[in-house]
Amino acid sequence: MTATAITLTGLGKSFGMTDAVQDLSLELAAGSFTALLGPSGCGKSTTLSMLAGLTAPDRGDIHFDGASILDLPAERRPVGLVFQKPLLFPHLTVADNVGFGLRMRGMRSRDRARRVAEMLDRVQLGGLGERRVGELSGGQEQRVALARALVLEPDVLLLDEPFSQLDTTLRAQMRALLRRLHVDSGITTVFVTHDQGEAVEVADTIALMLAGTLAGHGTPESFYTRPETLAGARFFGVTNEITGRTRHGRFSAPGTAIDVSTDLPDGDAVLVIRPEMIQLEAQAGVVDGRRIGRVVGARFAGTHVSVDVELGHHRLRVHHPAGRPITIGQSIGVDLRQGAYTVFTTTGR
Amino acid sequence: MTDPLDPVPDRLRRSATSTRRHRPGRPLRQPVRLGLLLAPALVVVGVFLLGGVAQALAQSFGYQPYLSGSHLSTDAYTALWTDPAVRASLLLTVRVAVLSTALSAVLAVAAALLIRRLGRGRAAITGLFQANLAVPHLVGALCMMLLLSQGGLLSRLAHLVGLTATPAAFPAITNDRFGVAIIAEYVWKETPFLTVLVLATLGRGAADLEAAARVLGARAVQRLRYVTLPLLAPALAGGSILVFAFAAGSYEVPYLLGRPYPATLPVVALQYFDDTDLTSRPQAMAVAALIAVLSGVAVAGYLLVVSRLSRRAL
Amino acid sequence: MIGSAAARSAGSGTAGSGTARTAGRRFGVVVLVGGALVPLVPLLVWAFAGQWRYPALVPQRMSLRGIGLLTDPRSEIPKALLTSTLIAVSVAVLAVVIGYPAGRAVGLYRFRGRRAVQFLLLAPVIVPGLASAVGLQVFFIRYGLADSATGVVLVQLIPTVPYAATVMAAAFANLDTDYERQARALGADPLRVLLFVTLPLMRPALLLAGLFAFLISWSEYVLTLLIGGGQVTTLPLLLFAAISSSDTTAAAALALLVIGPPLLLVLISGRLPATRSGAVIGLGRL
Repeated sequence: MTATAITLTGLGKSFGMTDAVQDLSLELAAGSFTALLGPSGCGKSTTLSMLAGLTAPDRGDIHFDGASILDLPAERRPVGLVFQKPLLFPHLTVADNVGFGLRMRGMRSRDRARRVAEMLDRVQLGGLGERRVGELSGGQEQRVALARALVLEPDVLLLDEPFSQLDTTLRAQMRALLRRLHVDSGITTVFVTHDQGEAVEVADTIALMLAGTLAGHGTPESFYTRPETLAGARFFGVTNEITGRTRHGRFSAPGTAIDVSTDLPDGDAVLVIRPEMIQLEAQAGVVDGRRIGRVVGARFAGTHVSVDVELGHHRLRVHHPAGRPITIGQSIGVDLRQGAYTVFTTTGR
Repeated sequence: MTDPLDPVPDRLRRSATSTRRHRPGRPLRQPVRLGLLLAPALVVVGVFLLGGVAQALAQSFGYQPYLSGSHLSTDAYTALWTDPAVRASLLLTVRVAVLSTALSAVLAVAAALLIRRLGRGRAAITGLFQANLAVPHLVGALCMMLLLSQGGLLSRLAHLVGLTATPAAFPAITNDRFGVAIIAEYVWKETPFLTVLVLATLGRGAADLEAAARVLGARAVQRLRYVTLPLLAPALAGGSILVFAFAAGSYEVPYLLGRPYPATLPVVALQYFDDTDLTSRPQAMAVAALIAVLSGVAVAGYLLVVSRLSRRAL
Repeated sequence: MIGSAAARSAGSGTAGSGTARTAGRRFGVVVLVGGALVPLVPLLVWAFAGQWRYPALVPQRMSLRGIGLLTDPRSEIPKALLTSTLIAVSVAVLAVVIGYPAGRAVGLYRFRGRRAVQFLLLAPVIVPGLASAVGLQVFFIRYGLADSATGVVLVQLIPTVPYAATVMAAAFANLDTDYERQARALGADPLRVLLFVTLPLMRPALLLAGLFAFLISWSEYVLTLLIGGGQVTTLPLLLFAAISSSDTTAAAALALLVIGPPLLLVLISGRLPATRSGAVIGLGRL
């Protein structure tokens, strides 16, 4: 089975007056593991529902390997879906749950039993086939749900916040299991989550959805180092925003000595930089790239010291390595290295 | 799964360490306290209901409280066993109860599946069904008479469209040997009851499970057979037992809509009961005991069916 | 969650078969509504009919005689109405008073045999009251309870206590006893806790249980007949006699009166959100 590439073009879905999904265009490479990330209500579950065929889009198209699948009803799409709740059939045993799809296809009982047993071993539930659903723990239930979807060898695997109901340690174990299964099978996987930490940990690529539309698509690092939109940057926890203007290829923020080159057009702009990307150096004269600020607060935060620095009118939050002394009131050099920050235009917002 | 006869939620049974259940030190010890709380209700059930049935049983063997010289015998039972009227009654009672229950159950499932898919009309129809639940069976019997008798509304409609010329030409389905009108009344009243029960059972959960089945490749008919029906089966079974027991033990409806012979067991019981002949009293008791046994069989059947259903695999 | 999203767009699935499905649905709805309402039509018309001979579809003459009977002091109806109401209210109160502690025991405590007790409490729902009433009658006569309203009230406890107890048990299972403990900690003695904390919290369940008991008692025929001995005349007994007579108009009018309170109470309880969910199983007993 070769992996399937997914293409979403101009996908849109409205419920009454609300646009759950607006003009979503996305390409997911064959065999990729993509996290569809976004806050609640941003349309990611609806997108998944449209991919599975449970909801029909109002606009746009979905292609698997170049062929549109919109005409296929949900029961005929080569898609596996694991929901937030395991949704195991309560009147069936674990083995019967896992074998459900195979039974629907008309596979014979003996063949089913074999495939089910193999799959249960792969999700580390070997030998639990005869258990009833009510006897399982939360983690076991989700593994059964996973097995139930994977045993059908779908072209695409969709997961809708499948581990959100589990506790933290269990979630980490389940993510590891999922990654192993992905490596073994190579199925194109889409994993919906609202937790950016989880997205970063489990996926190869992240597609960020905000307010029903795409706000970034790339590797996890790119969201940290080169966020595509201001909203995306904010979602990933950038806390420092310095407003200013761009003019003739340079961005400057009044009240600070910040003056960096940029290829944005003239207009209002904002420079964003993550707390851990700002370097603080004891003042040793003004060198190119450094500005002088004043430390107004410092708090130990385990892996780092959280330092508040005043730079002109702006207050910056810096994650400074623990162990390097910082005193309140100290004048300090603030180093904004080229590549550590991003500038966004805000004109027309 | 929720057992309709046991609406106390599952979490009560599962939590072994919940502090809510721990009672702080009280003047009365727990078993005594529990006993006092349960006593009045258990007296009503134990003394009145079970005691009453036990009395009926005893009196069917000739036991006469407050009268000396009662001698026990199985005469009443022998008389009933050899009486073709009683056998006919038993047959009629079982037939009416089984048919009413089966019809109501099938109609209720169909109605519930339909109502589920309705958007705005759903609340209205459910309200209508609940209003139907408020109509007493006695009134229902009158309604069926006015509708189905040979001088009733249906007969007049048949006359209007030219199907019948006289009242007698319309089939006699009230006060008939088969019990058509009786079954009709039970179905009219019990279908809404079972429908509301099934709807409550399906609730939200069923739609999610059906969506899961859909993605797994199940077509509409398969979803119905392998997901929806198994989900509602336990509640439907429980409700059906209630319907069966009621139909077997009801008096007003078969008296008004049926015949004196053959009559259902409850009607026969009262016929014997009102009879001034001394030997009739034990026979009335025997019939009453028989009715109780019939309900007991229904409950046993329910327990059997439910335990089999919950063990069934694909 | 995806399931609800799918349910929301249930109509926007595959096209083509859509219109046929909607038409079939409409037809089904018509059948359901018609089936529920049609039997009531002749009843309603007969209550206001003066003369309605075969084969007319509409009465030849309308009349308010039937309705007039309902308030006519010369008919037994007003008296029976009073009797029915008094008995039903008494049964409702007693059933709730008995069912309340039983419900508390079953709902709040876990004890060995709890399942058995629950089952036992539901026995009267399965075993027809007729079977026990015939056996009890001789005792009621002996203790002077037969032919009296008191006896009727007592025997009507048999079908009503199970419902009251079950409703209360479900409510108690959902009761957070922390409220009571908080009240005790604030200095309230057990009686005050009951009056000012527990009972107010239990009010919807108490009303629902009382409602069920009232409705069951209101419609009860056989038990009243057997124990009341024909001396205690409730509305169902009158209705039964009226149905057996040839005065269809009177019977129909009386039937409307008998439907009145149950319908009213069901409609009211349907509005109260707390009572809505439990209304089902109990009402089926009618």
